[in-house]
Amino acid sequence: MSNTVTRIRFAVVAAAAGTVVLAGCSSPAPSDKASAASCEPSKGKVTLQYWNTVPGMDQVVALWNKKNPDIQVQMKNISNDQYGTIGNALKAGKAPELAQVGYDELPSLRTQDAFVDASACSDATAAKSKFVPWTWSQTSFGGTGVFAMPQDTGPMALYVRSDIFKKNGLTIPKTWDEYAADAQKLHKADPNLSITFFDPNNAEWFNGLLWQNNAEMYKYSADKWHVNVESDQSKQVADYWQKLIDDKLVRTDLAHGSTQMYAAYQKDQIATYVGAAWGYSMFRDNLPKQAGKWTIVPMPTWGANGASGDWGGSTVAFMKGNKHLYESVKFNTWLNTDPEALAMENKLGGLYPAASAGLKLPALSEGVPYYNNEKIFDVFADSSTKIDTNFAWGPTQKTVNLALQDAMAKAAGGKGKITDALSAAQAAALKSMKDQAIPATAGK
Amino acid sequence: MTDIATRATRVVAQTGGRRRRLNGGGPRAGVIVAFLTPFFLPFVLFYLVPVGYALWQSFLVVRRTGGQYGTSYTTFGGFEQYVQVFQNHEFWASIGRIGLFGIVQVPIMLFVALIMALLLDTPLLKAKSFFRITAFMPYAVPGVIAAIMWSYLYSPQLSPVVDLLKGIGLQPDFLGPDAVLWSAANVSTWLWTGYNMLIMFSALQSIPQELYEAAKIDGASNWAIAWQIKVPIIAPSIILTTVFSIIGTLQLYAEPAVLRQISSNISSTFTPNMLAYAVASGNNYQQAAAISVVIAVITFVLSFGFMRLTSKRAGL
Repeated sequence: MSNTVTRIRFAVVAAAAGTVVLAGCSSPAPSDKASAASCEPSKGKVTLQYWNTVPGMDQVVALWNKKNPDIQVQMKNISNDQYGTIGNALKAGKAPELAQVGYDELPSLRTQDAFVDASACSDATAAKSKFVPWTWSQTSFGGTGVFAMPQDTGPMALYVRSDIFKKNGLTIPKTWDEYAADAQKLHKADPNLSITFFDPNNAEWFNGLLWQNNAEMYKYSADKWHVNVESDQSKQVADYWQKLIDDKLVRTDLAHGSTQMYAAYQKDQIATYVGAAWGYSMFRDNLPKQAGKWTIVPMPTWGANGASGDWGGSTVAFMKGNKHLYESVKFNTWLNTDPEALAMENKLGGLYPAASAGLKLPALSEGVPYYNNEKIFDVFADSSTKIDTNFAWGPTQKTVNLALQDAMAKAAGGKGKITDALSAAQAAALKSMKDQAIPATAGK
Repeated sequence: MTDIATRATRVVAQTGGRRRRLNGGGPRAGVIVAFLTPFFLPFVLFYLVPVGYALWQSFLVVRRTGGQYGTSYTTFGGFEQYVQVFQNHEFWASIGRIGLFGIVQVPIMLFVALIMALLLDTPLLKAKSFFRITAFMPYAVPGVIAAIMWSYLYSPQLSPVVDLLKGIGLQPDFLGPDAVLWSAANVSTWLWTGYNMLIMFSALQSIPQELYEAAKIDGASNWAIAWQIKVPIIAPSIILTTVFSIIGTLQLYAEPAVLRQISSNISSTFTPNMLAYAVASGNNYQQAAAISVVIAVITFVLSFGFMRLTSKRAGL
């Protein structure tokens, strides 16, 4: 039997020896930057690759292909591992012409030299006026380039169980202070009832709340990123939720979108949901028995500041190596501004459009049966116009989000405060940018 | 009694340990290549090359020309990534966490596996193949599926177990900050006990029956046979399962990663492998490679250290 042990030992030593031999390879030299993109139409038929994660997008693409025999689009669903797939394709030099990229991942991918600037195409620059303002400032990085076209957004609002509110004599909160007062009353009336839940593992959601309070965490100027995650505005939001947690007014044991979360709502344990436009179908589809009990109202505001926040949403980016920019711009513009395409994407994929005209789609101006036939999309459309256009994401957002989540989870478990999580996120932002050799400094 | 055990080992050494020497006048090179290629080609392609690539990556650092959105490139950075690993307290916290996990979970699991293997090996037990298959069954369940299944049993919202415990006045919190490590350990134990049992059981099966007869004639009880003949003889199997378990513990990923979906008490850096994954998903492949290499080195040191220690003790 000791032979088995010896054999394993030999295999391991052999493997270790092999790694040493291969370690002798040299690292690649810096490559030249891609030359400026031009916008010449191609001759003859063109086929574009388009990667996305939107359910039902194949039908939208089929419609385009039927109408445009010379610009054919092949799509691939990459929802299994969106950024892993895109990142690997980039490394292999095999990126598609167009790919779906979330707003918060745009700076990170641009830092990896993932995009081409389509601003040489007049159709691309002309599209600016067709989109909700904040979305365009994200896809142009606040400059004149066009690296992506906005597709959908997640303007935030407050989902309210009107029956629970009525039963407990609560009024719809207009400010966060009123919301906290409602939370207090609700807890007094029934200790098993919470106004909402705080998911410490959901940095995207928390970032939406920071966005609402004009906490501009990143700014790019003088050839440097200015990292200001720990601003007074962020701290105000952090302290607010810390107090709700300390007073046991919000649940901290539910993960967003989990079966457990729906179970808590199903059992009438939670009275509101601070959510985005795309959440409307989540509740409709997962909690069918609560039809007619929900209403959607504007986000509570921070005093006189009437701003709203955004949570999620995506763009369709022009990827590096794109040799058919002219055709890509044509398809991308149609995909994200044409009423027929937008209506399909809304119906099949639940997308809430980034195009201003899209907000007036017939499907988005009708009452929704689940929500008492209320015109809930009017609330989201209004929210959409009140989102800070100067807000920018950082170039290492994923790493920062993880650091924020880990520290928020500690705070929710009673170790530290949410403001400590902001410090952790600030430190993680500076360190990860240093690791990627991205010039950065702390402060405004 | 010790002489029974010594005699037993000697008998095994004489019967099972005998080896045939290869005949001289070696076969032609072509035959060797034909037999070895099916092994060595995938071994090199899917094992040596990736490991070598990771090692190479771990010595690189990212640099950038042309400011923020300039072009990035990698260059040789010596031990810079390793210095960062050693300064990363999250990394050492995860090693400590997993160390505690291993010290508690591995002995419990292997002890249970050994008891089950010994029970299966006694002539007293009926319906052996039923018990053998039942005990082994969890191993047939993929780790992720097992973790999802258990996460439903741990969840206070959905679990019948939690409801039951609450019914008798307990307030269990399987996903709490202190409990969640042991909830993950429980999933690992459930998954792997049957597997380890089977390795030990097959070692028991290869012990010649004459030994037991001899022991019985010498007046050994069933208890003595189990602990003083069977266990010493299958010691190499127990060592092997321990080494596998040490490696498995250091590479723990699936169970905590699944439980993380429902418990915020599992951080993104909960285990060394989760930390490496988090760093890689943040686009810092060089640092992730260095972390992986350090995990590998720690795994080598611990498994070889354990083997050395035990093989000297056991005189193997």
